[in-house]
Amino acid sequence: MKSFFALVKRELASVARERTILIAILIQLFIASFSSALLLGLLSLYDPDSVDVTARVNLRVGVVGATGEPLVPFLEARGFRVVPFGNLDDARSGYQSNQIDAVIVAPKVANEIVTLQLFVPRAEARASLIQLVLQEPLKRYENVLRAERGLVTRYTDLKGAPPTTFEFLYSVILPILMFFPAFVAGNLVADSLSEEFELNTLETLLAAPISWRTIVGAKISAAVLLATLQCALWLGLLRLNRTALENVPLLLVMGALLAGMISVAAALVAIVFKNREQAQFVYALVLMGAMGVSFLLGVSPLTTIARLAIGDAYTGVGNVLVFAGVLGVMGVGLGVALTRRARE
Amino acid sequence: MRQIWTIALREVTRLRQRFSGGVSPLAILILLVGLGVLAFALRDTSALGNGLYRVGVSGDAAEIRDSRFSVMRVDAATGAALLEQRALDVLVDGGQVIAREDDKSRYALGALKRYLERQQIVELGATQEITRAFPLRVQVNYIDAANVTLPEPFIPSLQAPPTPFRDVIVAFLYIMPLTFISIFFTSSFMDEKINRRLTLLLSAPITPFQIIMGKMLPYLVFATLATIVFALLTRAPVWLALAIFVPTSLFIFAIYLMVPLFYRTFQDTTFIAMFVTTVTAVYLVFPAMFTDLSELAFMSPLTLAVKMYRGEAFSWQQYLFPSVPMTLIFGLAIFISSRLLHEEFLMTYYGLTRKMADALYWIIDRKRPELSIFVMSLGVVPMVYLAQLIVLAIATNLPLRLMLGGALFTSAAVEELVKTMGIGVLISRGEVRSSPRVLLLAFLSALGFLVGEKLLTFVSIAIVSQTVLSAALFNTGLLIVPLAAHTFFCGIVVVLYARFRAPYLLALAVGIVLHTIYNALIVGGAF
Repeated sequence: MKSFFALVKRELASVARERTILIAILIQLFIASFSSALLLGLLSLYDPDSVDVTARVNLRVGVVGATGEPLVPFLEARGFRVVPFGNLDDARSGYQSNQIDAVIVAPKVANEIVTLQLFVPRAEARASLIQLVLQEPLKRYENVLRAERGLVTRYTDLKGAPPTTFEFLYSVILPILMFFPAFVAGNLVADSLSEEFELNTLETLLAAPISWRTIVGAKISAAVLLATLQCALWLGLLRLNRTALENVPLLLVMGALLAGMISVAAALVAIVFKNREQAQFVYALVLMGAMGVSFLLGVSPLTTIARLAIGDAYTGVGNVLVFAGVLGVMGVGLGVALTRRARE
Repeated sequence: MRQIWTIALREVTRLRQRFSGGVSPLAILILLVGLGVLAFALRDTSALGNGLYRVGVSGDAAEIRDSRFSVMRVDAATGAALLEQRALDVLVDGGQVIAREDDKSRYALGALKRYLERQQIVELGATQEITRAFPLRVQVNYIDAANVTLPEPFIPSLQAPPTPFRDVIVAFLYIMPLTFISIFFTSSFMDEKINRRLTLLLSAPITPFQIIMGKMLPYLVFATLATIVFALLTRAPVWLALAIFVPTSLFIFAIYLMVPLFYRTFQDTTFIAMFVTTVTAVYLVFPAMFTDLSELAFMSPLTLAVKMYRGEAFSWQQYLFPSVPMTLIFGLAIFISSRLLHEEFLMTYYGLTRKMADALYWIIDRKRPELSIFVMSLGVVPMVYLAQLIVLAIATNLPLRLMLGGALFTSAAVEELVKTMGIGVLISRGEVRSSPRVLLLAFLSALGFLVGEKLLTFVSIAIVSQTVLSAALFNTGLLIVPLAAHTFFCGIVVVLYARFRAPYLLALAVGIVLHTIYNALIVGGAF
């Protein structure tokens, strides 16, 4: 047992000395901040619900023609300032004197199909913003026209909040932050083992009265410990960022279990494929394959993490125990592989 | 050429030996294809948010089939009770939808709203005549331009948001095999560095350049083949795909060529490689997401690929905008590594900063420091240029004051660092001492940098000149003022370092602060 802790300390010291863990943390920070930047950018460009017209941009639209009247309250509700005009020429001069940003011309008579003429400036960014924000009032107007034609649509007046940021936070950012430490842990184990194989330093270690299991176990424990600490760090930062997180202790356990599973898999790969190129490659493939399959089967640890964090009423200790069981089985597998290896 | 060929053949043999008995290349290929298909299958299901919301359904409610919603059939009373206990997030009771007031429930309602609206439209389209189901058309006209082709009229409820997600993901799938192949290239280099075969090779009558090209050649061929195969699989025009992705693969190889040169331990390489992979992935994907929205999107070759898959044309200038810097960086990487590929550099183990300084020392031709410094400043321009583009892209997409300041500062920091680092190394190794000589070097460094920038912005001026920031980042304005200013900042840093023995970082900080102020003045319109 004493030698086990000595080995754990040796591993941790080597990580601390190389400062590579700093790079790893940097990468994670980078990914997290970057994906939120990307999301914000995309939302402001593609998501009509997320463009807050009244607060950020003041859009004014001129409306020409009486048939367009039912549209006006919808436009106003979305935050447009509506200016009525008698004809298109007036509206054009209104645009030139900077009274309005766009013009909607409604047809004189309503046919079976109503075709609105929308006049926007050619400058692309402004025009696409206007069209984006116009989407919702236009859809509501379309529902009015449908009702006039005797078509009833249900669920048209639901409120709710735009869910994109919420979903992104719990189903992308949090799982990435919990997965990355585990991924790094696996890498540490695989690298550290294959380095010992290739540089033949294992013989020296084995000359001391330490078993294979102690060596590999210590490497895995050190990596899992580091991963759990990182998870704790991320959860803390998310909390500071005022993200509501439920079941924090279970989340940490999940982080440790995930790191454990990935590290054990990495150790197995490193033992079977002794050279580093193969080990790294197979490790990456196994990981990607396992992720894909677990998503397809709907038993992904990342999904469990998301549900735990969000406070799902039907996810709890039981789900976590399943993964503990999986880790246990994998651990036994590794033990068997090590015993075989030791006999060689 | 003969030598390069010999080395290439040797590399192929080595690769075959490494993998014999382990995994056959065919198995790897099958696995790769399988994973690609898997990624493709997962691309637009919201697999990650699986079961994020709990929805109770009672009565004659619409059917909900979306993996984000876990649906439970309940009667109305139990549903209401469960909603109250927070065991459900939303309750759909016939045509009515009930939610709580807290955040989680409101988000669930928002998500459900989008889903149900879309379902209604799909249902209408399937069951009703099109004129009846979609009675509204909108024709877009341009208020300030006559005689231009107008887009087709659109139906508001059928208008899909123009996200290029799908095309970007397809384009990104090209990058995955490229990255894998270049990781193999890196490992091979590393391996030969450890078992000292590289040393043996270096003592043979061949140049470092030939070794690098020879070792790289097989992997470049694989990369090109991968591109061709993928283009054929996705039915893209092969020559166009090659034109887009060959510069990209050169760029990726350039980056992975630098990794083994600076490595110290295995863990080092893994992390550095990981870092490099994330940064390049981000650099390639991020701009492409903004295809058609900003011309800056063309800084990523993936944007070209997105255009290709959409069957849209792009101009020569738009093609050269990402491709030229990438190819130039490849050239630069080859040059740097052939200067560094000798035993003394490869086999020393210092900290990373020391190793970098060492690298600079080897790159500079000490007999002709003036020329070296000039050429070096000229040569790093493509790299700085890419860095500036990233800064510009992030800054223009987040129109915040903080980002503006951040962008001006970052660009100043990058420029000052690359202009002074070479001179700094020369000073610290005692190669140059006198102040006039240091100042001359500062002038030459600034000059080289400006010349390089002018040449490169010549290709892309129309694309980047649209944004306010570009005046500061790319010196698109006058020639004399920037030259004087840049010489001045660079001079201050090196003189502080050489004459007043200030620590390099402190001297650099002074230069960066002054440069940032100058940048801010330019954006503010002072020049």
